[in-house]
Amino acid sequence: MALHNVDQAIIHQALLAASYEMGVKLIRSAHSPIVREAQDCSAAIISAAGDVVAQAELTAIQLGSISATLAPCLELYPAQSLGERDFFISNDPFSNGQHVPDIFIFTPAFFEGELIGFIATVAHHIDMGGGAPGLNPEAGDVHQEGLIIPPSRYSLDRDWHGGPLERLIAANVRMPEATIGDINAQFAANSIGAKRLTALARRYGADDLKLAMDEMLDYTERRIRAAIELLPDGRYCADAQLDNDGQSDDPVLIHTQVDIEGDSIKIRFDGSAPQVPTNLNSPIASTIAAAVACAKSVLTDPDIPFNDGASRVIDVDAPVGSILNPTRPAAVRARLLANHRVFNAVMNALEQVCPERVIAEGFDSTTPVCLSHLGESGYNIYLEILGGGYGAGSANDGCDAVDCPLSNCANIPVESLEMDYDFLRIENYGLVENSGGAGRQRGGLGFERVYRVLKDNVTFATYSDRFDTPARGINGGEPGGLASMTVVRGDEQIALTSKCGFDLQKDDLLVVRTGGGGGYGAPAERNPDEHRHDVEQGLVSRGS
Amino acid sequence: MRVGVEVGGTFTDLVVVQGDEVSVVKVPSTPAQPDVGAINALDAARIEYGDIVDLVHGSTVATNAVLERKGGNVGVLVTRGMRDVLALQRHDRTSIYDLNYRKPSPVVERRQILEIDERIGADGSVVRPPDERALRRTIANFISEGAYDAIAICFLNSYIDPGHERLVAKIVNAVAPEVVVTCSVDVVAEFREYERTSTTVLAAYVQPAIERYLARLVSTADERGFSGRFSIMQSNGGRMPAHAMAQNAVSALYSGPAAGVVGAIGIASKLGFDNIITLDMGGTSTDVSLVVGGEPQLSAQTRIDGLPVRTPVIDIATVGAGGGSIAWVDDGGLLRVGPQSAGASPGPASYGRGGTLPTVTDAHLIRGTLQARSFLGGTMQVDVQMAHDAYADLATRLGLSIRDLADAVVRIAEANIVRAIQQVSTERGHDPRDFVLVPFGGAGSLHAARVAEELGIDKIVVPHNAGVLSAVGLLASDYVHHRSRTERTLLEASSISKIRSTLNQLKTEAGEYLVAQGVDGALGFEPTLEMRYVGQAFEVSVPVNGEIDALDVESLAAAFAQAHQRVFEFSKPPDKAVEIVTFRMGARAATGSVPVFRAPMVDAAAADDAEHIDVTENGDCFTCGLVTREDLGNSPAVGPLLLEDGTSTIYIPSNWSAIRNAENHLILEAKD
Repeated sequence: MALHNVDQAIIHQALLAASYEMGVKLIRSAHSPIVREAQDCSAAIISAAGDVVAQAELTAIQLGSISATLAPCLELYPAQSLGERDFFISNDPFSNGQHVPDIFIFTPAFFEGELIGFIATVAHHIDMGGGAPGLNPEAGDVHQEGLIIPPSRYSLDRDWHGGPLERLIAANVRMPEATIGDINAQFAANSIGAKRLTALARRYGADDLKLAMDEMLDYTERRIRAAIELLPDGRYCADAQLDNDGQSDDPVLIHTQVDIEGDSIKIRFDGSAPQVPTNLNSPIASTIAAAVACAKSVLTDPDIPFNDGASRVIDVDAPVGSILNPTRPAAVRARLLANHRVFNAVMNALEQVCPERVIAEGFDSTTPVCLSHLGESGYNIYLEILGGGYGAGSANDGCDAVDCPLSNCANIPVESLEMDYDFLRIENYGLVENSGGAGRQRGGLGFERVYRVLKDNVTFATYSDRFDTPARGINGGEPGGLASMTVVRGDEQIALTSKCGFDLQKDDLLVVRTGGGGGYGAPAERNPDEHRHDVEQGLVSRGS
Repeated sequence: MRVGVEVGGTFTDLVVVQGDEVSVVKVPSTPAQPDVGAINALDAARIEYGDIVDLVHGSTVATNAVLERKGGNVGVLVTRGMRDVLALQRHDRTSIYDLNYRKPSPVVERRQILEIDERIGADGSVVRPPDERALRRTIANFISEGAYDAIAICFLNSYIDPGHERLVAKIVNAVAPEVVVTCSVDVVAEFREYERTSTTVLAAYVQPAIERYLARLVSTADERGFSGRFSIMQSNGGRMPAHAMAQNAVSALYSGPAAGVVGAIGIASKLGFDNIITLDMGGTSTDVSLVVGGEPQLSAQTRIDGLPVRTPVIDIATVGAGGGSIAWVDDGGLLRVGPQSAGASPGPASYGRGGTLPTVTDAHLIRGTLQARSFLGGTMQVDVQMAHDAYADLATRLGLSIRDLADAVVRIAEANIVRAIQQVSTERGHDPRDFVLVPFGGAGSLHAARVAEELGIDKIVVPHNAGVLSAVGLLASDYVHHRSRTERTLLEASSISKIRSTLNQLKTEAGEYLVAQGVDGALGFEPTLEMRYVGQAFEVSVPVNGEIDALDVESLAAAFAQAHQRVFEFSKPPDKAVEIVTFRMGARAATGSVPVFRAPMVDAAAADDAEHIDVTENGDCFTCGLVTREDLGNSPAVGPLLLEDGTSTIYIPSNWSAIRNAENHLILEAKD
């Protein structure tokens, strides 16, 4: 039985609004800058059957696989065994989780004793223990990346609020106040989601709510199928590559094969590099999320709400033992680098299908800057995520200095950073001139962030890319500028590698430059007025 | 004589109060030169300029200056290393799957920004002092090359120590005395450099436009003999003397919607309703806001054209649901309404001005909840057949009759409004059932009853002259000035004297500022603390009650915990550290008063012998009485009734009743 048009429309919009409200409140009540400023978190509403029906569109990499993370929990603890105050928790990359810092929390929502759905939040936590504060660049296996919580059921009353699970986590992380505070913000967001879902069940009845949720999945599926049906059938293959794995100098290949058949699409990664001994491996959930995010961005309207209806149409898999589906105990912290090359490879394949809809490669290398200091009052960990220039589109210049496609982190304001981290001062934060690939449409510019270190014993850790291989242009567009990291110590300039850790001293200057996006179309075809404007504004040098 | 003139996008409204007499004038706006419309309205009211004691004005001049990029030529001075602060913005995207994402475009270009070699540390220490001698030449060159007529200065950490901004302002004054200088600490002394710079630059940018506009208006009014007090509406719901607007230009953004809220508050509080939700529905969108205890809720920040403006504004949520909002079916088969709008031109299909897309107004004409022959008080011709034609395709696609589809469209528009109200109520921790709904604008009262029902609200006040409520709000507004300062302070016994002294200092500054602008009368103060748990990044506004000198840690902590609980549905144990980040002070000189509309009373409802029409509404078809305001009296008239009230129409469903009070306001109540 179908629901009345009007009720369907109203419940649909109400669920989207509720997931968005959860996301916003999670950010605004969280503690660590990675959630509260960088917004590295997501929220979703899930049907009783375990399908994501609505999600706050905050961070692409965390979307598209939330139900896959819930599934192992439900296998171990069937839905009917759950009580009102129970919750699931997991951060296990090898049970369909993301990387160790991303903790998923699922709480059941009941109406008149009946399970009507689940509420999910996921947040990146500032420190999960492991071999180094915030980020362990040397991790050779996942165990060195922090505390793993396998899919488990706990009780809020028994295990949290001073209970054993809270104490276990607090004892294993370096900034327990921040981590427990952020998990509490997740619980609060979950309870808001449950409240909104229950209110809808009260207003429309649990049966109609269920019908509306099912229809939301069908709706998204329908819209994506309608978009794919218009594309020519065929097999489209393409590559993308990482500079290196952080140990050897050899590039790491990502190969994709995209099959479009009728109204569905199949994406495979056979031929990609085997898993690596460093932290660049991507758990399968992340690989799926990255491929789906690219397909959705290119093929469909941003207006289509993203939910598990999409996974009925877009089927993604990668060979076991490859960098895109590693086996335990592979380290996975820097998965986003591999994920962005998944994004690039799928985009490059789709360029053959619909060249006017794709964009050139961008910097597309989510770059965390982790600076930590152990002082008298314990650890203070600064973690910020840097993006760069976007690739140009067929009719628009790439966006300058913005986070990469799969993440969506805000910057930490300089004044906020300096207030919270007395061991740092920002001396420059600006666009890198000439870093956008020239073209009929110019690639977006990368940027520079320059940190003055004000105390001794500050540790730096990072992972980045495009130090060697620039973002590729399209149709004669030129590549974007390369990224780099340098420490200036007195008169000495120390060039850092893209994936590294480094001990800093007082007065050191850490210069982080991110790369630009590739251009679209030949530079000679650029509108002379636009070129002149870029020169006047100092974005492009005269003569270039 | 007191006069309020509100220049809107389509109409310029005027309300005149002389003794007991209130009159209202509506003339078309003159968008190219809005002051002409304002003078036209004054002329049309046939009043003696010399008799005007109090003239209050609101306009969209500041807002349009930004939207149309017609502000001043502004040069910006920033700390060395921060030249790209306006281009970098906050590094995130508002739409994550949009590959062609563009950031909001700043009002100044990169070449208009000059780095100054100076630095203040996060602790207020001077890291690098500016070199005055070298700067004189650099700045003189910068200004003459750019031919700037205004300079905005925003240095890092100036909210802690404004010394460098002040020093450089002096240098600018010395080398270019004709240039207007705006320091960021005078606009908003709060942390977060992008938001502060954006606000400061916007202030400097709109200031010349406002000043030119007001100068023209004042000189025309003066020529005609005006010598009274002239004040301007602000987005915080208060007014300022016109001559002071040059320093408060950014507060003139969005003053129109704020004035409407103030008008609604004035009328509702006289009826004894202090908790209200306002619903202002126009042609393209609907604005809603929440009023608690007679006070509009303020938000610390707003946006214009995507650019942040950090200044206290009445917290108004806007949703793209207006009379002109277009109904459509997306490629997944879901019926949608808005946010695209046919606006005033071409307008709804039934207007016959070339619009062919089906709108909410067309849906009402089909349902019968708007009557063609009396559209806009009978002043406008509309064609119901064109409305039917516009909906024919959609109806076929969805397999619905045109009438049922029209009904569905109105209900979806109402659901969109309900969600906007939930955003300012439920999501802020307020239960809408504790509020009275006050609809205004052309279409607000047509939807009010069904919107109220969905929210559990059982009382509605439809003000008399709801179409000119913003102009009423101008006269009801008080003089208001806000000051703020970011000074991170741990909430503990040892800091209480500092907390008190900071608030007292802001109180003195804000009060003295109003007095210096020539405002007299008793001053009232509204202190607010922006607080958070140590470790959080966003603050919760906590209004401070009671004497500043009697404040103590326990009551502040309790007030914060309560506010945090209300918004986030949790608070922490009392032993968790709390800090104050920003101190705010609102100063208010009460001068406004609400005009009293009087109407002859009618004893009994005359709705019995009303004309009847066929209506489809909320899934039912039935006959409905068609009445006017004059047909109602102080005994309840029971729905279903459609009440035509000049430029607006009020719908009273069968489970609602309505009375008209002595001031001609309608009060609707849900039966049980």
